[in-house]
Amino acid sequence: MRNFVVGPLLRLLPVGLLALSLQRVVFAHHPIHDVKLQFVLALVVAAGAGGGTDRGAIAGFVLGVLYDATGDTPFGVMALAYGVAGMTAGSLDRFTQDPQWWLAAIFATIGAAVGEAMIPLVEVVTGESGWITSELVWTVPIVAVAAGVLCPLLMPVGRWMMGVRRKKWKAMTE
Amino acid sequence: MFSSLSRRRVIALVVLTCLLFITLDRNGNPVIDRVRSVVATVMRPLDTATEAITLPIERAWYGITNYDDLERDNEALRDQIEQLKGNDVEAVSAILEYRELLKVLQLTSKFTYDTVAAQVVGESPSNFQNTVEINVGSNRGVKVGMPVTDGAGLVGKITKVFPDRSIVRLITDPEYAISAQVLSDVNDPQNQPATTTTTVSPDGSEPSTSSTSTSTSTSTTTTTTTTIASPVTDPITGETIAPVTTVANVTTTTVVTEVVRETGLLEGQGGGKPLLLRFTDSTSAVTSVHVGAVVDTAGGTKSIAPQGIPIGVITRVVSRTGDSSAIVEVTPNASLRRLNFVTVVLFVANDAAPGF
Repeated sequence: MRNFVVGPLLRLLPVGLLALSLQRVVFAHHPIHDVKLQFVLALVVAAGAGGGTDRGAIAGFVLGVLYDATGDTPFGVMALAYGVAGMTAGSLDRFTQDPQWWLAAIFATIGAAVGEAMIPLVEVVTGESGWITSELVWTVPIVAVAAGVLCPLLMPVGRWMMGVRRKKWKAMTE
Repeated sequence: MFSSLSRRRVIALVVLTCLLFITLDRNGNPVIDRVRSVVATVMRPLDTATEAITLPIERAWYGITNYDDLERDNEALRDQIEQLKGNDVEAVSAILEYRELLKVLQLTSKFTYDTVAAQVVGESPSNFQNTVEINVGSNRGVKVGMPVTDGAGLVGKITKVFPDRSIVRLITDPEYAISAQVLSDVNDPQNQPATTTTTVSPDGSEPSTSSTSTSTSTSTTTTTTTTIASPVTDPITGETIAPVTTVANVTTTTVVTEVVRETGLLEGQGGGKPLLLRFTDSTSAVTSVHVGAVVDTAGGTKSIAPQGIPIGVITRVVSRTGDSSAIVEVTPNASLRRLNFVTVVLFVANDAAPGF
């Protein structure tokens, strides 16, 4: 536990707050086709794609809690959705330990799509219905593709945030 | 952490913690409210710093890419201001008259409540929330449920209050609902369905039938006036002439303007979609509501806003086949995407109000 507190958590919080601030100040004010790109979600899936299932879930949970704390949604909704998003993107490590950037981007896209689609679903469970509309057909793909595009750029940040070192392969010498 | 717990346990822990948080928050938890307050305090300087860095870049970018559009918008807005100046004078006079009438009738309206001016300092970063953050809170008397307006109309209601800031749920949010009324003039040609009027002429001739869209509702009153002149003496013969009685029929036509008040529940549909108005009487939308009619708050003991706050105008009425009801879409007056300064009406809503 101590390792987690002095390691990833100390990095997660400042990076998360900065990402959230960028989301609130920049991305919230510049929607594309009425869809606000989700920078925090992109960071979560990048951390998941770079760190694995459990690290992705934890990154999603912590950043989601921060997101919840600044918004009006029931506390825990974004944490759950982003946790699942990070976990989905992190399932990449079941296939390969050192993925290429494009493979990571694909899993990040899938993770972001799952995470963004989960928000209205979880809200329905909590009694806040009304967001499951035809607009999801546009919202989810735009957010997911944007997260996929940002993934290669954010993966180093995600790895550093979660205390993951990229594996360095060495050629065997005779 | 990662080494001591298996992956499945970590994931299960995350999911269960989230569910616990959701349950606690739904039931109201002071600790969670405190966390929100602390995070908001931390975020404020961070947002200001981020804005200070990104704003010049944004402005430079807009300066390069949107210069022509801005110039066109500027011209259009100047024209609009000129037009509005004329309307404003009429509106002010109508408001003054309205207040006088309210005083006379001892009714309450939005004008009888105190207000607090506020500035919008942030908006929801999520695609599934239509909220904004304003810079006044409980320190200024703001409470949950109070309506928020801007110069043009209703903006939303307060959903969360902190000492120096509040969250406003916009009227476009699907969770928002308010009782609203449409005041339509039945004499409006746009609103009047074609009617058949039978007129009986006073001389008893054949009645004439005409199919017309009447623009005025008239009531005809016939008054019989009898004038009796005083007796006079003929100056030549010296005889007294009997008084003359004159009977005159005076027909007075009074024009009466009938205003029909239709009440219903107005709900947001999320995103940039117009609002949806559902009438208490399902046939109302078809019979007495037309595109362009003004919608405002209905008020009442169970409403979350006082009567008379303008909300928007009806932009679409779609009748459904095989159903007497219709879909009525209302476009808000307030520019919800460009909110800057707003006013909180210090009106305490009833807990049982719809959408509270």
